[in-house]
Amino acid sequence: MNVHGRRVLDAPREAVFAAICDPDTLLAVIPGCHAIEQVSTTEYRGQISLRLPGIVGTYRTVVRLVETDPPNRGVLDGAVTGPLGTITGQATFRLAEFDGGTAVEYEGRAVLGGPLARLDGRFVEGLAGSLIGQGLANLDARLERQHLAAMEETAR
Amino acid sequence: MTVRNYFLPASLPDALGLLETHGPDLLVMAGGTVAMPLVNEGLSLPELVMGLRKAGLDRLDVVDGTLRIGATATLTRLLEQRAVPMLSEAARSTASWSVRNMATVGGNLFTPPPGGDVAVALLALDATVVMAGPRGERSLPLAEFYTGFLSTQLAADELLVEIRVPVADDPAAFLKFGRKHANTPAVVTVAARVTWRDGTVADARVALGAVGPHPIRARAAEGSLLGSLLDAATIDRAAGAAMDECEPFTDAIATDWYRRRMVGVFVTRALRQLAPDADTEGR
Repeated sequence: MNVHGRRVLDAPREAVFAAICDPDTLLAVIPGCHAIEQVSTTEYRGQISLRLPGIVGTYRTVVRLVETDPPNRGVLDGAVTGPLGTITGQATFRLAEFDGGTAVEYEGRAVLGGPLARLDGRFVEGLAGSLIGQGLANLDARLERQHLAAMEETAR
Repeated sequence: MTVRNYFLPASLPDALGLLETHGPDLLVMAGGTVAMPLVNEGLSLPELVMGLRKAGLDRLDVVDGTLRIGATATLTRLLEQRAVPMLSEAARSTASWSVRNMATVGGNLFTPPPGGDVAVALLALDATVVMAGPRGERSLPLAEFYTGFLSTQLAADELLVEIRVPVADDPAAFLKFGRKHANTPAVVTVAARVTWRDGTVADARVALGAVGPHPIRARAAEGSLLGSLLDAATIDRAAGAAMDECEPFTDAIATDWYRRRMVGVFVTRALRQLAPDADTEGR
């Protein structure tokens, strides 16, 4: 499975990078994520529940930051385990200054195991793309709220 | 692991209560025509399943000029209603009699492309969806309901309860193109509707299925029709715009290239049906 994409967020690179490494932010922006803990400086464990048409399930997720170059890029290594099988893979994200905001570019490759592997690739890739898209949209909204709150604070 | 408990709530509050108690582990099922094949093939392994068919969500009636369709009203009943002919046509083009007797209108909104033909017609008809949850009811235009592939605005603790369609007599056309005549997934589905005022198009809807992550509105195509007489040149422009803005995919039914070409062909045919001189064959 391959996923890649790009989205421009209306926040400075440093803020975006910090948000991507912050468990509280991740908990709030990842669709269906209801638990996350930082096990070490580079490792996170979480639980993601998805309600899809005809399919439900809770997936245990482990993500390690294997390489970081703040605030430019990072490489993540992850494994997702659930009732329908496993997903293991690696993803790279790059942050670039763009038009006063930050362009997030990502690409990832993953291997599916178990019953999941029998699903049409279009489904898994489409779903991954839509979850990442939603996650980034949530992140954008959250950063904007934080920015507005900070501005109000300064104005006071 | 297999289904341990099957709940059959007798009312909406009971259904919402079960959803609250069991959370994301509860598989919500209406007609079961999407879920059961996945369960039988071992692609979905839910322990808890809630069937909605006894929850009293199957109304289908016209109230104050609005067709109110309960989420679990079957496609067969949608086919048989006469208030909105396009919905009858869309239901008829979906699956087979035996599946339509089980499949629900609400469930059709969650069927991933190339399924979900009824949703395409509902988009063109400016349908509204009503959701219920612990915070009460809320409604949203169907056009704002979809957020991506297999994802919608429906929150984890909410259920889709009703679809509302304004009853109007605007000219409307529904065309589904598949590899065979009936009981077939779509290469493309097109639903179009125009509102005429003083001899020109005052408002237009062009909705497409099987050429995007979910049923979509071709907004550029819609815009290009406004103020026109729906003449051949306008229809060509709209079809071109729809081809540009759709996001087709490749599957066992058709390639993305072919789907895009067929968007052009079937948007043209649908709009020609709505043109004032609709009898000009082969124009």
